[in-house]
Amino acid sequence: MGDSYLDLLMAQQEETPTEEIAAEGGGGIWVVADIIDGAVAPVTLEALGAARTLADALGAYVYVVLLGNGVADLVQILYQAGADAVRVADDASLAEFALEPYLQVLSDLFQTDQPEVVIFGATYLGSQLAARLAQASGGGLVERVVAVSLDEATRTVQASVPIYGGEYFEIVACPDARPQCLTIEPGAFPVPFLDAYRTGEPALLEVAPVEPRVRWVGAAEGFEPPDVPLSRAPVIVAAGRQVDDFALVERLAARLGGRVAGDRGVRDAGWIEAGRVIDVRGVEVAPEMYVAVGVRGDTFHNAAIEKARFIAAIHPDPDAPIFQVADLCIEADPKDVLSALLEALQ
Amino acid sequence: MKIAVILGRVLNPAGIVVNRRRGRIFVNREEYVMQPADRCALEAALQIKDGSEAEVIALPRDLLPGDAVGSADVLRRALSMGADRAVNFTGRASDVDDAGMTHVLAAAVERLGGVDLVLTGATTWDTGQSQLGPRLAEVLDWPQVVDAWAVRVIDDRAEVVCQILSSPVRGDRGGGSGYSIFEVDLPAVVTVHPGALKSRYPDGVRLINVYRDDGVVEQWDVAEMVDTGNLVPLLEKRGQDFPPQRERGVQLEGTPQEMAKALAGELKKRIG
Repeated sequence: MGDSYLDLLMAQQEETPTEEIAAEGGGGIWVVADIIDGAVAPVTLEALGAARTLADALGAYVYVVLLGNGVADLVQILYQAGADAVRVADDASLAEFALEPYLQVLSDLFQTDQPEVVIFGATYLGSQLAARLAQASGGGLVERVVAVSLDEATRTVQASVPIYGGEYFEIVACPDARPQCLTIEPGAFPVPFLDAYRTGEPALLEVAPVEPRVRWVGAAEGFEPPDVPLSRAPVIVAAGRQVDDFALVERLAARLGGRVAGDRGVRDAGWIEAGRVIDVRGVEVAPEMYVAVGVRGDTFHNAAIEKARFIAAIHPDPDAPIFQVADLCIEADPKDVLSALLEALQ
Repeated sequence: MKIAVILGRVLNPAGIVVNRRRGRIFVNREEYVMQPADRCALEAALQIKDGSEAEVIALPRDLLPGDAVGSADVLRRALSMGADRAVNFTGRASDVDDAGMTHVLAAAVERLGGVDLVLTGATTWDTGQSQLGPRLAEVLDWPQVVDAWAVRVIDDRAEVVCQILSSPVRGDRGGGSGYSIFEVDLPAVVTVHPGALKSRYPDGVRLINVYRDDGVVEQWDVAEMVDTGNLVPLLEKRGQDFPPQRERGVQLEGTPQEMAKALAGELKKRIG
């Protein structure tokens, strides 16, 4: 590679977007940053990776808006992750999220800059802002996106959204309305390579005082949400007759933040009540995670867990029917595995 | 006090089978149920009504053709559970997305007059969409509180319990559990977290009566409420994609300790 080509590449990288480009329409790919515990949220970096890919294909720039109080130190990581330009609204009124002040800054900005695509994290903050801004600007909004592709002919983003939590995906596009707003599911996109040589100087935004319309009163001391029924529990640890020490199963459930259940065998042993028997004649479940400890898995039990997203099974018998439906199989005595498992989960 | 509750229906996933290998969805039983989060919104409205003179009006989340299977079922169910009125929208058969539906619902709220509180579910069960409530708040220029776990009305304001876990949203707010109380002046739009409240059972006699009486659900013609040209969907469905076929029976190898460690790693990854 000759020096002149390297110089050209570096010059391109250092080139900063101009107001003329934004004013010409096709006003770039924008990312609205989320902050968690004083740092840029991983979902924002993931959004930047997606934005960079889209921008490179469209020949557009990537802009990031960062709102908060004392957030100037967080700017450089945004450049490193792929931002071409960063706009910062740094003001005491933005220290804690309140819809109206945040909305005011973003509405003013987007009215001027007319973004082509705006990406938010599918978070408490991002979901609220995205919907309000999409409505205010006449834009379309695709929520909880897990993958994107591009229809380059029409500059339209095609987004995959999970249906019934990911049983399948629908591909949705916003062909005509602009901006195309997306909220992306945290963890769905890779965090881009952070290029320490990419740096920039952010532009500061004016923040006009706006009174929030929702006021924080205080902590809801003593508030207890209702119990989730077993049939809708996201994590279940089920015990079978091969379990010697039921207390270990209860500890495993507590460690995973899940509910304890079992098969008919442990109900007969008096360890659980009838309402916690997993069986098509008892309770059918569809958890995100089902850990079967010492459950042999007869037809009725296995049919009752067929909607579980992930099944791990521990049983000493290699021919136990539970292994036919489990995603992860451990052929061992539960008592040999449980203590080590609890220790590893510490 | 007048409360409008927006309710939608969803195909019960228990009646469908997704064949990932063939890339097809088989609907074995076309059974629609009320969106779980909307059911909680209805319960929140009925709990407010229990302690006051509130009037609860059920409105549909979707614009369905009149001949669609059970198009007014969720509204009838709401009446049987205690809602005072139910209004269905008629006159347009093609798809209307949330952006278009927002205009219809805003017009309905205006037409009802004097609505103090709009409640709806925070997310839909099938598509996970949460934009309807905030979009409606934007059109009405009302404040919004999303993902509420409890709603209480005191005079001309609502107290809403929300679980806020992340900063800067949380800041120093909330106790260890992260539940905080927020206060908002009425009128306002509040979306309710799915599973936040235990739904009550319909009253048996009312249930029979609402299905006997054809006129129990009021019918409002959409064309009289909004310019139907504004209802063109902004979003377009361009196909479906299926995750890879599930690989079952991956056997872990090694000593029990090694297998336990590998399993712990997998479980940790999944619970985040």
